[in-house]
Amino acid sequence: MIQLIAQTFVNGINVGALYGLAAVGLSLTFGVMKILNVGHGEFLMVGGYLAFWMLRLFGVDPFLGLPLIVAALFLLGIISYRLFFATLASFPEEVKVKNSLLVGFGLFLVFPQIARLLWTGDERAITPFYSGGSFPFLGVRIATVPLAGLAVTVILILALHLFLKRTYFGKAVRGTSENWKAAKLMGINVNRTYMITFGIGTAIAGVAGILVGLTQSISPDVGMEWTLKALIVVVLAGIGSVGGAFFAGLILGVLEAVGAIFMGPYTVALGLVIFLVILMFRPQGLFGKA
Amino acid sequence: MLEVEKIDVFRGEIQALWQVSLKIEDGELVSLIGANGAGKSTIVESISGLIPLTGGSISFDGVNLGSKSAHRIVERGISLIPEERGIFPGMSVLENLELGAFTPKSRKKIHESLRFVYDLFPILKNRENQNAGTLSGGEQQMLAIARALMAKPRLLMCDEPSLGLAPIVVKNIFNVIQQINQSGVSVLLVEQNVRAALALSKRAYIIENGHVTGGGESQSLLNDNRVKDAYLGTG
Repeated sequence: MIQLIAQTFVNGINVGALYGLAAVGLSLTFGVMKILNVGHGEFLMVGGYLAFWMLRLFGVDPFLGLPLIVAALFLLGIISYRLFFATLASFPEEVKVKNSLLVGFGLFLVFPQIARLLWTGDERAITPFYSGGSFPFLGVRIATVPLAGLAVTVILILALHLFLKRTYFGKAVRGTSENWKAAKLMGINVNRTYMITFGIGTAIAGVAGILVGLTQSISPDVGMEWTLKALIVVVLAGIGSVGGAFFAGLILGVLEAVGAIFMGPYTVALGLVIFLVILMFRPQGLFGKA
Repeated sequence: MLEVEKIDVFRGEIQALWQVSLKIEDGELVSLIGANGAGKSTIVESISGLIPLTGGSISFDGVNLGSKSAHRIVERGISLIPEERGIFPGMSVLENLELGAFTPKSRKKIHESLRFVYDLFPILKNRENQNAGTLSGGEQQMLAIARALMAKPRLLMCDEPSLGLAPIVVKNIFNVIQQINQSGVSVLLVEQNVRAALALSKRAYIIENGHVTGGGESQSLLNDNRVKDAYLGTG
């Protein structure tokens, strides 16, 4: 019994870390730019497919190729921002959020179709030679690939946290998020800050995509599923805290893993119930400020 | 030094400024006075590049600022302390000041500037690691002034620095503004507290419904019957 609980926890943490990673980028763009990109999961999907391609076509290990994916997705993010989101930046806040929903939804309609053309509709998994390996630890089986994924996630979240706290540009990002008008008056190029922040968010989604491909599978329609998970996590965590989004991801992962024992296929609804309960009773989220 | 010539500015669909012209010479302390909603804030926000001009031109040291974006104007040496201060409440006092020195030129001198503003406002040094949102109103205004000084401006624009502050704090803030001006920084002061603004400044412009309707030496405006009637309540 204790073993079952421990194993469930471990599985929950593995999945939860991915939820957290998927949510961090969404939280960042929402917090800084006040736009809600419901196309966020599409970038995750692209990251997963690129890693799949890299391994299948060129034999590049997904963990070693990670910096390449980060660079590619950062670029894709910047291009998408300039093409689709940049014009929103000048609108008042309410208009901005509404219009960004439309733009994001547009990405959701277009990206899966492109993915179907490039990679067909089949589910793909990234399977390097070491995938599927595991080892026993205190009576629990630890799978190596998810463990490595967890390590990557923790390092990435820490790096992002330090970037925002310690670097000059990171402080400019936080300043812009708190008061963009004052940020302009400090000499911060707010439009450029938005663009780079969006690129960072996209790059993180790309990394999440690699890990999803490694531990689960990628298909053209996987994007919205992850956008929804990320949204639940962002609501659970509250806006603006990188660490908060990560921990909220872990919480959701573990709750779902435990829920799966009792609720079976209905577990998916659990996240949405949490979403509603949080919005009703603690709209600022677990870690957000009121 | 600063020359605003016949600018027309719209806020959304509504015209907020009509043919506004004004001038600030090197080292001057000039105030803009007028009622709430007259367009004073719109003038300083247009100068800092937050609102685009529809007509007219603004030049600083002979360079046209009209088409420059806000962050470029800060680099040129014009800083605005916005109405309601615009501090970053979730960031520490030190981080606020660091962002004040964001432009490459001022960042090089950040240590020197920090020493300077901490000398001016010792309380900020004590509160260095506190979140700016936890400061009192007066301290927040000091932080806003200090943050603007971090950019090493040659023209400092203060939008309603006395807003919501106790009279004793206001006096203190005005003293500091005078001190800053005496150190060689030109100041454009926007104030609803007309008596205090006129006492502090050498010259003033009167703004009414988006027009400049008068102006001159502050001393003579203090004795002007029309000004007394409208703003000083002693007519």
